[in-house]
Amino acid sequence: MLDRRSLLKIGAAAPAVAVSGGVLNQVRALPISGGKDFSPITGMERKAIPSACWQCVTRCPSISYVEDGRLVKIEGQPNSIRTHGVMCSKGQAGVNQYSDPDRILHPMRRVGPRGSGQWKRISWDEALEELTGRLQKLRDDGTPEKFMFHYGRMKASHSKLINTFLANYGTASKGNHTAICEAAKWTGQELTWGKHYDNWDFDNTRFVLNFGSNVLEAHTNHVPSAHRLIARITDHNVRLVTFDVRLSNTAAKSSEWVPVVPGTDRAVVLAMCNVIMSEDLYKGDGEEFLKYCKVTANNAATVEEKVAALKTHLAEYTPEWAEGVSGVPAGKIAEIAREVAMAKPACIISYRGAVASYHGADTERAVQMLAAITGNIDQPGGRCKAVGASWKYPKGPKDKPKARKLKIADGLPGAAKLPTHHVSHQVLKMIKDGSHGRPDVYMSYCYTAVYANGDVQENIDILKDESLIPFSVNVNPYYDESAALADLILPDTPFTERWGWEDMVSPAQIPEYYIRQPAVKPLGECRDFADVCIDMAERMGFPLGYKSHEEFVQASCEMTPAVKAAGGFEYMKANGVYHDPAAKPAFYSYKKVLSPEKYQKETVVKDPQTGTYWDWKKAKLESAEEALAKGYLKTKGSYKAYVGVEVDGQVLSGFKPDKVNLSGLFEIYSDVMKDADLPAMPSWTAIPEYEAKKPEDLILTTYKHAAQIHSRSANCKYLTEVFHDNPAWLNPETAKTKGIADGDAIKVISASGELLTTARVTPAIVPGAIAIAHHCGHWEYGRYASGKKAPLVEADEADADRIWWTSKGAHPNWIIGNRADPISGQLRFMDTVVKVEKA
Amino acid sequence: MTYHDRNISRRDMVKATGLGAAVATTAVAAPKAAKAVAAPGHQAQYAMVIDVRKCIGCQACTIACKTEYEVPLGKHRSWVEAVEKGTYPDVSRSFRPRLCNQCSEPACVPVCPADATWKRDEDGVVVINKDDCIACGRCVEACPYDARFLNPVGGKADKCDFCLHRVEQGLVPSCVNTCQGKARVFGDLNDPESEVSKLVADHPVTVLLQETGTKPNVYYIDADHADPADARFAGQYVRVDTNRPVEERR
Repeated sequence: MLDRRSLLKIGAAAPAVAVSGGVLNQVRALPISGGKDFSPITGMERKAIPSACWQCVTRCPSISYVEDGRLVKIEGQPNSIRTHGVMCSKGQAGVNQYSDPDRILHPMRRVGPRGSGQWKRISWDEALEELTGRLQKLRDDGTPEKFMFHYGRMKASHSKLINTFLANYGTASKGNHTAICEAAKWTGQELTWGKHYDNWDFDNTRFVLNFGSNVLEAHTNHVPSAHRLIARITDHNVRLVTFDVRLSNTAAKSSEWVPVVPGTDRAVVLAMCNVIMSEDLYKGDGEEFLKYCKVTANNAATVEEKVAALKTHLAEYTPEWAEGVSGVPAGKIAEIAREVAMAKPACIISYRGAVASYHGADTERAVQMLAAITGNIDQPGGRCKAVGASWKYPKGPKDKPKARKLKIADGLPGAAKLPTHHVSHQVLKMIKDGSHGRPDVYMSYCYTAVYANGDVQENIDILKDESLIPFSVNVNPYYDESAALADLILPDTPFTERWGWEDMVSPAQIPEYYIRQPAVKPLGECRDFADVCIDMAERMGFPLGYKSHEEFVQASCEMTPAVKAAGGFEYMKANGVYHDPAAKPAFYSYKKVLSPEKYQKETVVKDPQTGTYWDWKKAKLESAEEALAKGYLKTKGSYKAYVGVEVDGQVLSGFKPDKVNLSGLFEIYSDVMKDADLPAMPSWTAIPEYEAKKPEDLILTTYKHAAQIHSRSANCKYLTEVFHDNPAWLNPETAKTKGIADGDAIKVISASGELLTTARVTPAIVPGAIAIAHHCGHWEYGRYASGKKAPLVEADEADADRIWWTSKGAHPNWIIGNRADPISGQLRFMDTVVKVEKA
Repeated sequence: MTYHDRNISRRDMVKATGLGAAVATTAVAAPKAAKAVAAPGHQAQYAMVIDVRKCIGCQACTIACKTEYEVPLGKHRSWVEAVEKGTYPDVSRSFRPRLCNQCSEPACVPVCPADATWKRDEDGVVVINKDDCIACGRCVEACPYDARFLNPVGGKADKCDFCLHRVEQGLVPSCVNTCQGKARVFGDLNDPESEVSKLVADHPVTVLLQETGTKPNVYYIDADHADPADARFAGQYVRVDTNRPVEERR
């Protein structure tokens, strides 16, 4: 076979190699990476289509390879400045999203009781007639808010287009998923430096200090960050120190793994700040940066006053105190604090391990403070303001109805004081509660609410209850746990069959523009939901102004100056990615001096309390006098009218606020937090459940594995072959006290319920904790995820009979409550107190 | 080197049977003919150096290989093992990507009763002619690395061939192309200027099961070869995980 295929191949590519043996040898000596692929069977070149991944939110530029009209292979895009052409296992397995035999290929209408699994196939016309009939009635009745749209991932062009549909329909009853992701981190950042998202400039750093990020396995910018980090630590001897509950692969690749009690990272960070201030290690870059910081109630305080305030505030957080809370030896805390202060520059990073817990938003603020006082904010090698593509796009009809909304997205009353990214995991609870109204039509999109949130049984009970949710629509390429509880399923396309433009953050600090193109035509009757929205808008009489998502992408390419100049839509279709080759990495955005015409306008005033310049007209006030009388901080939504901030007599662009009224200084001391009766400065606040915890109780923490996405990849056969079982990690010392041996069946009991699983006894976790991975324990989602075929599915695949693994693992969310960080609303995935016993 | 002789005769045989016309007019004939008379020093030996320090255990290589060849569930041309060991808190986890070693003294070749597998002269890659394979499974048993399997699709012996179909088109193997850490480096060990040659020259490298005398051409930098079956680790925590259905590691 081999000789035959070599012959076929060489024959096909004759012009390239048929010169001489010498040329062939030369080609062999210099193999190149990517951009092409060939069939191992026929030797024929596979058709290459530049596109973008969508397996995780990182959305890496990619290339789809098509053979005989079938998508067979996905690789990285070699011309991407974000990924340099490499790709992770999840991206590689994108072909499985396309080829999953359990895909839903036609609209489906429930025929038996809700959740009974009885369905009939219906046409798109029938489906949309029923749906738009219901929506039209709500709209005509003046209650468009009774159409609730609950989404998981919706980004870039999808987000713009679908939101345009919702706005023109007139509903603002929207739920998202950020509170099960990293809402605490975003709220913490919005309270300190404005718009969320921190980029980590590994390319230029000398030292990386990590609190709870598993960047080498997961992360919202995984491949762009991970491949840079591993190169940096191996090729440039950069030290990486990781604080984590367990030895993640990131911790394993670190110079040092420092185990920490779950949910207590903030104590360590505060103690490091204490060391840096008490030993005057802030001097230099940190001291220089303090000029741009707000550290006391007085925005005009001198640097000396700020230093004094920090020293006073941090005095109680000694390393010895932190050792008592976190279990990290005081000497280790002091040693790493000194190291991070001396390394110039250092990149201080954090993620869910540190923030998905009680007062997690304050942990992020503490990390920001540590980066600030060591002078590692938004400069080469540090923790930087995110840079991404700025697309222009068609905005849709000018005249929109005033949108109405059910106030059910921010959690139960009192659940969270500053839920800037909402409390998605309590949306269903709010529907049950009913005090703020209930939707008549609940539509979920790219969101497995049942599975991805905590309190799984409660989610099931609510979604099943037709008295709480009269009509439930699920938009989905697959029959997942939420689709199983819907009344109507609209078959979405996987990303492999979609258009889109993308804008994810670039660690190069240079924006990258890229698009997604379908590799093949949608299978069956699947339709990109963005196209369905365009269709529904037409049907309800408010056309959006474009006929397809493709047309939207095309228009955006022609409207966006940088892309247009490069060659517009045609260029993007041929190349997939674009960045300005002359662009320089963007740092120090806060230092930009504003031109006087920006702040000497008639409508702009300087707030005497904060030094903030703001536009009273944009803040919907009547006059400068009114603005001065009310004040910037006390005017609702004044952040939207922010212009700049005065520092040392100069008006700078500063740290532009987003979502809260930030002064424009880097706020270590937060007026917003203080006004909400929360700690003005990053502080330790005892975890109530830990206070009541018995010595034999353990703390349950969760994590992600490198070869799965949080909840939407278990149908990918190759990924689930790698990771399908998730025994609970227990330290040998902890296991011994409970008489548990490796492989034993165990029962994990929380306030929410009980979970049966097995034990993996390993020294790779801190004593007193138990770690259970996400991804596993599906009871729907097709054969590869759960062993169950999706209803009405006719497709088959030989591999479905070759599934060799016998356990599908256990899903921790059955016993994790939908408990919110009282600041941000973040679901507390990392600090559930449990009892563990042999089953 | 008997298999090398057989190798040449196999090629001659293939050329002589039915494909002669095509061979005579394509480039592939020229280098092969040239190689037959070339000095041994001019022959390539394709090799891989895996710098384990740069491997983050992401399994991209595993999946890239699976999709490149649509490898059926339960079978692997390439996979990754994780070696976890130590005492809390001094614990390590090291990854060991695995694939066919393209041995210079392959145990799988001499056992083939059908002459269906050989080590190629021109580049040292151990290949299988599936048309000749009788699916007896002797090569699968003989390989000390468990790198071969009978493919349920077609039933014939299968394994990694360094993505020859890509390499011959000037591309690196698919696993190398996708590797996030650039831990996998591919090239010609007989070319002293190649990156693999330099890496092998400049670093202490190891191969798997050196004692078997198979002379692997996959080299590891900084690999952890700890094995729980090894008496040296008696009473210590050593765990080797793999993503394959095979419990017993070879």
